Amino acid sequence: MATTTTETVRLTIDGVPVTVPKGTLVIEAARQMGVMIPHFCYHPKLKPDANCRMCLVEIERMPKLQTSCSTPVAEGMVVHTATTVVNEAHKSVLEFILANHPLDCPVCDQGGRCDLQDFSHEYTPTTSRFLEVKRVFPKEYFSALIETQMNRCVQCLRCVRYCDEVMDVKALAPSGRGTMTEIKHFTTHQLDCEFCGGCVQICPVGAITSRLDLYEFRPWMLKRADTVCTYCGDGCHITIQTKGNDLIEVNSAHGAGRNNGDLCARGFFGYHATTHPDRLQSPLLRRNGELVPATWEEALEFVAETCIALKLKHGPDAFAGLIASRCTNEDLYVFQKFMRLVIGTNRIDGSARYGHINGVRALRRVQGTHRWTVAFEDIVGAEVLLLVGTNITETNPITGLKVKEAVKKYNATLLTIEALVPAIGTISNIANLSAHHFSVHPERFGNVVLGLIKAVVEGGLVAQTLTQRAPAYVEAISQTLRAIPWETLESVTGATSQALMEAARAFVAARRAVVLVGQGVLRTPGGFGVATNLLDLLLLTGKHDRPGCGLAPLAEENNDQGAVEMGALAEFLPGPSDLDDRAARERLAGLWKEELPQRPGATLMQILGDARAGNVKALFVVGENPIGSLPRAAQAKEALERLELLVCQELFLTDTARLAHVVLPACSYAEKDGTFTNTEGHVQAVRHAIDPIGESRPDWEILSALSVLMGYPIEYGDAKEILKEIRNLIPGYGLLGPAPATPRSDEAVVERYLREGYAEDVGARYQLTGAGSFDMAQPATSSAESDRRDAGKVKDGLQLTLVVGQTLFHSGKLSTRAKGLMEVQNAGSLGLNPSDADRIGVTDGDRVRLVNQAGEMTTSVRRLDRVPEGMAVFPEHFDEEARRLLTVSVDPVTQVPYCKSAKVRIERL
Amino acid sequence: MAMKFKAWLKTITFYEILVGMKATLKHLLHYRPITLQYPHEKRTLPDSYRGMLALLRYDDGTEKCVGCDLCEAACPSRVIRVISSEVPGEPTKRYAKEYYMDMTRCLFCGLCVDACPVDALGMTREYEWAVYDKRQLLLSKPQLLAIGDRSFPVREKRLELQHPNVAFFNVAFKFMPPKES
Repeated sequence: MATTTTETVRLTIDGVPVTVPKGTLVIEAARQMGVMIPHFCYHPKLKPDANCRMCLVEIERMPKLQTSCSTPVAEGMVVHTATTVVNEAHKSVLEFILANHPLDCPVCDQGGRCDLQDFSHEYTPTTSRFLEVKRVFPKEYFSALIETQMNRCVQCLRCVRYCDEVMDVKALAPSGRGTMTEIKHFTTHQLDCEFCGGCVQICPVGAITSRLDLYEFRPWMLKRADTVCTYCGDGCHITIQTKGNDLIEVNSAHGAGRNNGDLCARGFFGYHATTHPDRLQSPLLRRNGELVPATWEEALEFVAETCIALKLKHGPDAFAGLIASRCTNEDLYVFQKFMRLVIGTNRIDGSARYGHINGVRALRRVQGTHRWTVAFEDIVGAEVLLLVGTNITETNPITGLKVKEAVKKYNATLLTIEALVPAIGTISNIANLSAHHFSVHPERFGNVVLGLIKAVVEGGLVAQTLTQRAPAYVEAISQTLRAIPWETLESVTGATSQALMEAARAFVAARRAVVLVGQGVLRTPGGFGVATNLLDLLLLTGKHDRPGCGLAPLAEENNDQGAVEMGALAEFLPGPSDLDDRAARERLAGLWKEELPQRPGATLMQILGDARAGNVKALFVVGENPIGSLPRAAQAKEALERLELLVCQELFLTDTARLAHVVLPACSYAEKDGTFTNTEGHVQAVRHAIDPIGESRPDWEILSALSVLMGYPIEYGDAKEILKEIRNLIPGYGLLGPAPATPRSDEAVVERYLREGYAEDVGARYQLTGAGSFDMAQPATSSAESDRRDAGKVKDGLQLTLVVGQTLFHSGKLSTRAKGLMEVQNAGSLGLNPSDADRIGVTDGDRVRLVNQAGEMTTSVRRLDRVPEGMAVFPEHFDEEARRLLTVSVDPVTQVPYCKSAKVRIERL
Repeated sequence: MAMKFKAWLKTITFYEILVGMKATLKHLLHYRPITLQYPHEKRTLPDSYRGMLALLRYDDGTEKCVGCDLCEAACPSRVIRVISSEVPGEPTKRYAKEYYMDMTRCLFCGLCVDACPVDALGMTREYEWAVYDKRQLLLSKPQLLAIGDRSFPVREKRLELQHPNVAFFNVAFKFMPPKES
């Protein structure tokens, strides 16, 4: 952390001498030595407010009782927490609070784990001296997910402060005075916020509760399982609480996991996806063109027999495999082992191919690591943070919280390169906190990065050590950048050279700089180049090997990083080592006691292409859904229809599974054990919370059973045994400690990159992108003349760039089965800048048609201030129709299919 | 000597046997049966008799039970299962959507009745619950309410009308007593 001090203070609490760091609050010091001072309004995450007066203690030589939550320790302080005076104070405070509390503990969901209940048992007499009528608030509808019962409120304002200080959403506020203070949201209709559930978790009483499990449980009935959320790469620790085989609620304790107990809407309200009634209950086998339920024996025997026949006829390379990064490391490992040994092909790929691989490949190329060289702690401790192409508060909300903490609590300088513009909205927007914000078209993020590097190079900000170490490298970059004049750069980015220069200076001046690069970059054309350029920026400024500095590509799926490390991708073996790495192959062959297939792997688009050409006959799909993820232009459906055998291991009957010859029901994360590796490379344990739904089995068990039937048994007793084997392969993998051990960059690789590695594509990478296409950088004019010009446009619609991206409330297609999240967002709507919306004359909820040469779709409009002019955003989770419009292009180096944006014409219906 | 004579006399007259048979012989002469001719005759039950459990209602016919699960928690032999939920149409009001008692396990200890915060459970004086099929002893909410209806004809007023000083169980906003000025 930025402000840790080593100075300590000695004080005495209840007669026990204790030494704590300077600046610690008395309540914290007491807690550290095991004395619990009762409190409502204090919470370690929040600034002290001292409004509940419950934590009063007696401090010698201070005239009155002091609130221990707002008093920092001082040298020689003598604190008494349990004197008669203090106990009297506790009693009085509680008597005042209880004067208005409805005492409806029997029907309150908090009953049994309520601070007020516990303190009442400990500190108050059973009768009250108050005979007056209790305060009663009229009940108002609050929201579909969060319920308030203000009669129970103790007015500690923890919820309000959490919403403001931690989440930066500011959705709640106290209204009214004195005992009639009520927690309200700002609008007249229902609550519209991030729905992070933080207020529900932090409420010490039952005033704010979750509506999803309202009255379904009592705390003592619940069975808990500590596991990891699957809705993004952050890898948040969650505690799933179950009653019987029902999921009741999810929460996360303060201090738990990498998220420190904070969750987002997906984590807190999205847990019902796994128990959705549409879950596959038994294997499905295609008979006479129809998928019909079958037994496991029938289904597996059919797969094994067909595989053996196809392998004899066409050889192992007629097979291919696709696996989703939502599977555990164990599943991914067994999958690649199954494909490599039992089938005998390297033609496997996974959903890390959609973007995360760009970041990993850039890291491997420049600094020889496949993980971040930073951790979440470094984000919090950074002096400057550069966010490129990531609306982090929506895509990776908890990493976003770390950024917010760094900026709000430790005054870090935030630089953002994002399409979205700063705007006040119902959800937080990281651009609002940014000191240097560059709003550009999503395809031009790289241009701003070039601008920053140009500013570094031409502003004389290049690190001295680097100029001496690799003069040719610096010269090559400055030469290519000199070819791009500032004027062109300014016109394509819309940022002035001064602004870029200032941002570059701020970046260089910081001792600890972290660059976060999101799917907005990694999934757009040139993503690999931009990620490499960002590493160049770190190299040029001399930061790449400094502690607390580094590039951090943000993963979209929870185990993208694990998929890379388990070698479940076309170019990697477990480790990951390159597929053609002779030493790694020999080592692996020694451990597996079997030779590895020699022929090269195939990426997602190559597999689909080969399937279309008829070269791939059989495809194993584990949790992947290429038809649902790729646009129609990728012709995934045509490819899969040509297969002779399509085996899907799925939770639900997805678009891809509908085409399958065999569908095998798999367990969700809540029903299996294993490990996930989060975006920062921290391996965390996944534990089952409920029994498998129907006849579903964990993915590795299915593959293991198949391998037995195919005469090459890969058998394990449980997931732990697989992890043991992984540890043999990758020493120390999955040391389930509190924080990841971040790797250091490999100096030999950096040296090689600086000497010759950079040269192969330096010209191509340092090119402006997106020039000449629709110009978003032009400042919007609102003069009458431009209005008239726009009016002319409206006749044949408005040209926009449609970006299909993630939203806060969903993750992939899985979360659209979660009833809680569907309450917040149950359909896709087109986010449009209000002035664009005015130009075609639509308001919230109006229908519009989007047209381009590929097709057309209709949808409803939502006016969003944060969407820049000239852009329209649509959630990818409901993109059934939008996928028709998208084009697909493939990265020449990393083979990533870029399919997230399209030029469209929008017209009012 | 006298003692010896007394003992001899007792022996020859079978005195101890007569003492032992005293009650029998008495009943032989004064025939008055103490066996109750059940089911034609029935015993008078003590006031604190703990018989069949029942769910009760308020005087307006609404169920007293708020579905708090405390009876379930208090029950030592896991007789009770409560499935609580929100009252349809009355937000934030809790009730037992389903309520089951497995009377085959019940010890009639009355702990559930003690635990109930709204006195929704009562112990009736019913005990004639012999059935041919054990499954008939798994009682549901309507059955338990029916038992309450026939055993407790006198019903209480609603809580918020009994005590004006409560915002009790979140119902007070609907039946808010007038504020004294």
